[in-house]
Amino acid sequence: MIKKNFLRNTGTFLVFGGPSIFAFIAVIVIPFFVGLYLTFTSWDVRTADTAYIGLANYIEVFQDKVFLGQLWFTLKYVFFTVLIANGFAFFIALLLTSGGRGEQWLRTGFFTPNLIGGIVLGYLWQTLFSQVLPYMGQKYGWSLFQTSWLTSTNTAFWALVIATAWQLIGYLMIIYIAGFSGVPTDVLEAASIDGASRTATIQKVVLPLTIPAIVICVFISLSRSFLTYDINLALTKGGPFASTELATYHIVQKAFLSNQYGVGQAEAVVLFAVVAIIALTQSYLLKRLEVES
Amino acid sequence: MKKFKGIRWTAMLCLVLVISMLTACSTGNTSSTGNSQQEGGQSSQAAKNVKLTFFNTSAEVNTVFEELFKKYHELNPNVTIELIPTPIGGAQIQKFQSLLASGNPATIANLDAGTILQYKDKFLDLEPEKAKYEELTKEGAVEGALLDGKFLGIPWSAQGYGLLYNKRVVEEVIGGPFDPSTIQTRDALEELFKKIEAAGKAPVMVHGADWSLGAHYLGLTYSLQSDNVDENRKFVDSLMDGSATLADNPQFNGLIDTFDLLKKYNARKNDPLVADYNKDSADFAKGDAAFYFMGDWTWAVIGTLENRDEEFGLIPVPISNNPEDFGNTQVAYSQPKLFAIDDSGSSAEQQEAAKAFLEWLVTSQEGQEAIVSQMGLALPYKDVKVTSTNVISNAVEQYVDQGKVINIGVINYLPQDYWSMTGASMQKYLSGIIDRNALAGEVQAYWTDQARK
Repeated sequence: MIKKNFLRNTGTFLVFGGPSIFAFIAVIVIPFFVGLYLTFTSWDVRTADTAYIGLANYIEVFQDKVFLGQLWFTLKYVFFTVLIANGFAFFIALLLTSGGRGEQWLRTGFFTPNLIGGIVLGYLWQTLFSQVLPYMGQKYGWSLFQTSWLTSTNTAFWALVIATAWQLIGYLMIIYIAGFSGVPTDVLEAASIDGASRTATIQKVVLPLTIPAIVICVFISLSRSFLTYDINLALTKGGPFASTELATYHIVQKAFLSNQYGVGQAEAVVLFAVVAIIALTQSYLLKRLEVES
Repeated sequence: MKKFKGIRWTAMLCLVLVISMLTACSTGNTSSTGNSQQEGGQSSQAAKNVKLTFFNTSAEVNTVFEELFKKYHELNPNVTIELIPTPIGGAQIQKFQSLLASGNPATIANLDAGTILQYKDKFLDLEPEKAKYEELTKEGAVEGALLDGKFLGIPWSAQGYGLLYNKRVVEEVIGGPFDPSTIQTRDALEELFKKIEAAGKAPVMVHGADWSLGAHYLGLTYSLQSDNVDENRKFVDSLMDGSATLADNPQFNGLIDTFDLLKKYNARKNDPLVADYNKDSADFAKGDAAFYFMGDWTWAVIGTLENRDEEFGLIPVPISNNPEDFGNTQVAYSQPKLFAIDDSGSSAEQQEAAKAFLEWLVTSQEGQEAIVSQMGLALPYKDVKVTSTNVISNAVEQYVDQGKVINIGVINYLPQDYWSMTGASMQKYLSGIIDRNALAGEVQAYWTDQARK
């Protein structure tokens, strides 16, 4: 009987989970290991060469100063994007759950950027940064906007952060709203009866109780911004003078433009390791802050 | 029990779905293997239904090609051609590589000459066709299309670039008809720029994108060394092994001297790296700038604009004050795209059909109509029955007919990333972050770095 149950359970599992597992293995797991294997070869499409060369590609990666610089640039970019996106998303979610008028409309409005593809969004912001803002800056004498933000390294960095955060905020906001609705009303009532101020309530009650939402949001924003490619391509094309290339952009350039497939693939593996380590560490650390209401 | 039944039904449905998905994949496979069997068996059945695929990197004219394929199919019902489109400006080579790597290459590929060179073992040697095309094309067209001495791609479009000028603006400033041959030195150009500036117009538009600065402007350095491509290749080799230095190369210094001039009179000098191609072209076409460092391809933007000026021409980029120097009376000219036929996975029938189609494409009225009028390109063939509306490429033609061209074929042999890498250095120079010494140093470092690979 137990065996029969086991078989039936396995069958049910396979029927429902099978297709997803099949797809996952076919498009994620197998390519990942093939990719990993390719980093140990001198693979080149032009010659179809697949000679085993050991760790040479990885040594090349750590000698590629441009890539290491780009990785550092990416880390900075991810740090600010995650901070800004989560900060705004949290407070917008807070505002939109306080029971004001037109909340539904505003939620929809804030979520919309997520429905726009990264390329379109990049071009949109590019027009804004290189045409609309400089035009207004010159007209009204705002020194901050007199020249395009995309033509100097520093401002182009912030342009990237703003555009990515803008896209992410809506998505994170939805998760935070879901998180807030999980905060029991009796706890909030108790806090208000005890005379806690709004800030204290948020700090001492809401924040600890929405840690699961925060963990998810930070995880999502981390992995998404680490792997940003489309916005980078459409907004700055890595420019000016290749100074705003994120790691993914550099990898694609390395593999397909400079024709160094093996090195490019090895850089992708290094990036994967960095993302995995940071994302797992943060969720482990943040999870320890979770409390029961 | 009823609930259980429900689950069962859903489970059955899912299974059916999964199975149908899997079989869909496998039918796809069997049909394609069926096709190849059919193709294999074709030789015995005479020339019947040949299916060709066409990989196109000129993405902006995809639909024009598709129309041509339909027309050709009407004329030759046994030949079907299918377009493999690529996105404009991105991921084209990646797609080509993946087709090649998966053993499913396109029969015909419209590629940059440099790309064909990189994959030269994969393409059919067109040596037997060479004499015919030498007969059909203008002087030097086949010569210019040779890659390492081999005829691997059929030329079909030619482009030229230099300093475009807006005829109305220049003539208003000088108060009479403008003769482009009066500008053969840097000083003459500067004098004209001064006049234009005094008249309250921006003298020149410098487009700040890396491809324009790196490939087109700085790239002239390698082509200007001599009028022989092999000599120019030797120069690049000597840059790589360090036996030549850019810093004391007269052509490089001449070009950068002129670049300083362009920089000084640049319409975008407040924010030189904005590099909005459509806006730069439109502003030039509407007369906001008198000159524009660009090529005849920009007609695709200018040609359709409203309220633009009518007449445009071009002059060479002067690199010295001696009119006799090579480059001061010549404009850069190349055949950037070639048609190549696959030799790594295509049958002999397909190759023959591809050859016939390509010949039809460049010689028939329909093909020429499409290339010249609809794509707005210059066709480097002797017997062109259609006149072009692209006034800039007509101006280039005049230089070609007089033999006043710089053959920029050396770029086909340069590494694929040279324009983005050295273009970044040019962007730094344009925005004043580095000086000439540092520029020469960075570009030189790029070349010596290449030697290491």
